[in-house]
Amino acid sequence: MPANLIPALDPAALPGPPWLFHVLWVITFLIHLVFVNMVLGGSLLAALVGSGRPGAHGIRTFFVEANGWAISFAVTFGIAPLLFMQVLFGRFFYTATILLAWQWLGMLVILTLAYYLNYLAKARLAKGKGVRLILIVEAVAFVVVAGIQVAINLLHLQPGRWESVAAETSAALLDPTFVPRLLHYVLAAVAMSGVVLAFAATRQSGPTEARLDMARFGLRAAFVATTLEFAAGFWLLLALPRPVLRGFMQGGAITMLPLTAGILLGVGILAALTRITDPLTQTKDVRRAAEFLIATVVVMVLTRHQLRGVYLEPWRVGENAVVATQWGPLALFLGVFVLCVGLTVYAIVRSIKDRPGPGEPVA
Amino acid sequence: MDYPIWDLFMGGGVLIGLVAITHVWVSHFAVGGGLAIAIVETLAVRRKDPALRNLAKRSSRMLILISTVFGAISGVGIWVTIGLVQPAATSSLIHNFVWGWAAEWGFFILEVATALLYYATWDKVRPRTHLLLIWLYFFAAYMSLVIIQGIISFMLTPGAWIETRSFWDAIFNPTYFPGLVMRTGICLLLAGAYMVFAAMREPDASARAQQIRLLAAFEIVGGLVAWGGYIWWESALPESVRVIFLGDSPLVVALAQTRDLALWSLAAFMVLAAFAWILPRAQRWPVALVALLAAFSFFGAQERVREGVRKPFVIRDFMFSNGVLVSDIADINQRGILAKAPWAARESDGTPVSMGRAVFRAQCQACHTVDGYLSMRDRVEAPDADTLGLILEVLHGQGEAYVSGQHATRGHIATQKLDYPTMPPLVGTAQEIEALKAYLVSLQPKPTVEASNAR
Repeated sequence: MPANLIPALDPAALPGPPWLFHVLWVITFLIHLVFVNMVLGGSLLAALVGSGRPGAHGIRTFFVEANGWAISFAVTFGIAPLLFMQVLFGRFFYTATILLAWQWLGMLVILTLAYYLNYLAKARLAKGKGVRLILIVEAVAFVVVAGIQVAINLLHLQPGRWESVAAETSAALLDPTFVPRLLHYVLAAVAMSGVVLAFAATRQSGPTEARLDMARFGLRAAFVATTLEFAAGFWLLLALPRPVLRGFMQGGAITMLPLTAGILLGVGILAALTRITDPLTQTKDVRRAAEFLIATVVVMVLTRHQLRGVYLEPWRVGENAVVATQWGPLALFLGVFVLCVGLTVYAIVRSIKDRPGPGEPVA
Repeated sequence: MDYPIWDLFMGGGVLIGLVAITHVWVSHFAVGGGLAIAIVETLAVRRKDPALRNLAKRSSRMLILISTVFGAISGVGIWVTIGLVQPAATSSLIHNFVWGWAAEWGFFILEVATALLYYATWDKVRPRTHLLLIWLYFFAAYMSLVIIQGIISFMLTPGAWIETRSFWDAIFNPTYFPGLVMRTGICLLLAGAYMVFAAMREPDASARAQQIRLLAAFEIVGGLVAWGGYIWWESALPESVRVIFLGDSPLVVALAQTRDLALWSLAAFMVLAAFAWILPRAQRWPVALVALLAAFSFFGAQERVREGVRKPFVIRDFMFSNGVLVSDIADINQRGILAKAPWAARESDGTPVSMGRAVFRAQCQACHTVDGYLSMRDRVEAPDADTLGLILEVLHGQGEAYVSGQHATRGHIATQKLDYPTMPPLVGTAQEIEALKAYLVSLQPKPTVEASNAR
């Protein structure tokens, strides 16, 4: 494809050093991904759980309640990585979104619908009404959102595919890495939600049978998803374009260490999960599985970011962005961020801890 | 211009308007509603008034369902839409304001967290904690507005930034404070207009009347502040913007009419608010609905005016609505528009008409469609080929006026002195302009005789 289809670099100087944008991007994306995993995996597990299980109601209620928060935070924490990414790679990203404009815009409509469906499910659950169909539609909606995100992400990395997608939008789905990459995300999300469900079950009060069923369902889902994740992960690796795979492998310890750590941590998750026979008493083991999972997400986000660099490297040859750091505005951001995160943590802690005693007024 | 072109029958500007206006109807309620709920619950706690407490509780449900869901996602929607329609302008804004946006995001985290906590802790925490949450929510929501107003107003009045390129000059531009006052008023009036529906669900007639009167006070105060801010905003505009929609013979009559709609809608809203304040017991939901629609009409029309009067720019005095930078005119005239617009250029097979179509897509399609919104076919129907050529020549000549700076003072261009003050200059080589003329002529209806012969 002609390199001149890549838009010119924005003439304005970068308002900060590139490394800072990369760091902020990775950190905020990581937080975003934790919430996304909860939303995607949680909605799938809530839709898939069989009604006959003793813990079915608890499982659905947990995920519907959690999603009320997780969707909001997934959207909120999605803003920052999108912002920092546009500073560095806007010309690739905007082109990909324009080529899939209706899908990109439609994603927001689907997201809104899924969010309202979650509130509808919450209201119906509170009244003891059926929610199966609502949860299935909600889960499908979130998988479609994930699919659109993956398609846009892959397209912005590969200017060589722009012309074919411009000619026929559906060509975006013909990328050999599309299916394994989507699968990789969905399985990771299910694994994480499963472990979080099990962890929540160990801390909840209520009938033991239902809590045990919740925990076992979550752990089994996490085990199956993590096992399949190995297959999806290697499929994704082997489906990478040869130059990208070669470039990644030749990256040395910088690229290979996080990838190897990710694979080993995956083995660690499976080992931790197999140790658990009675989740309600083995709370430490459940917690360890959750810790392994979070660590895996951290290194996989690093790998993902490195892979982007390898993909885009040939298209950025000669790119020489001028940097003129806006120190005052940067200080404003850091000050506001520290203040707001501090106030948010304070508000959460106070909301959890403040419980009026007998006879005291209640809000 | 460097980017692929999204073909949209309604025109990109209309889509941005639709998304942006529906978002602001909600987002400004998110701010004003926060203050109103905070005041209502504070009064409820001080007076030990359960009816006021229930009003705050019902309103908080409305705030959660409308603001944290639709408001948050439609806010991202504006960003998505402008990235699709105006990618170059979006990139420019991101480069200039990334730390401002990032700071706003910091407030947004606090806003979302406290909104969800506030709603989730009804009947669970002490009143003091609950009040702290809603006041924190309002603080975060308002600070978010304080930042975003700088970016919105910058696009119309970039002020000293044109010369200094300073972030602070960009934020504190000439219409920053007038716009902030107006938006503060709108937040208050929308809080009253939305929450009156929650008040009307109060079963006790006396308490209901008291609540409606309280919310009408928000509407009246908000309406007056918004009106004052609006008048201040108009007076702060440069002459080149004012002539577009103000005065006896405005350049764009439709925008002048939209301004009238905005002010008449505000007047109607104030009458209905005064009615609710004087006769709260007579308030009924159809009246409240009309008041809410009048508020929407005022705000929507004002937003339309604010967006419309940026013509011919997307960032005034810096970037035209088709993504061409003022500083790039001379270079593009020399190298050609298609050298800068590869996505449009690849559609040309080298014939004059196809090259002209590519030129049209590169620099006209940001505002004009062929047959839909601001249809080019309609516009070229009447003039003959020679007249069309003359118009294009004048539009091309306008570029020289920008390059020479003959109408510029410290970087600000007196566009009203141009022949086509609301149109970007036509840029490109002589061959490209000739090709554009050929394409526009091809859009004209075929003469009847020719059509008969063809038959």
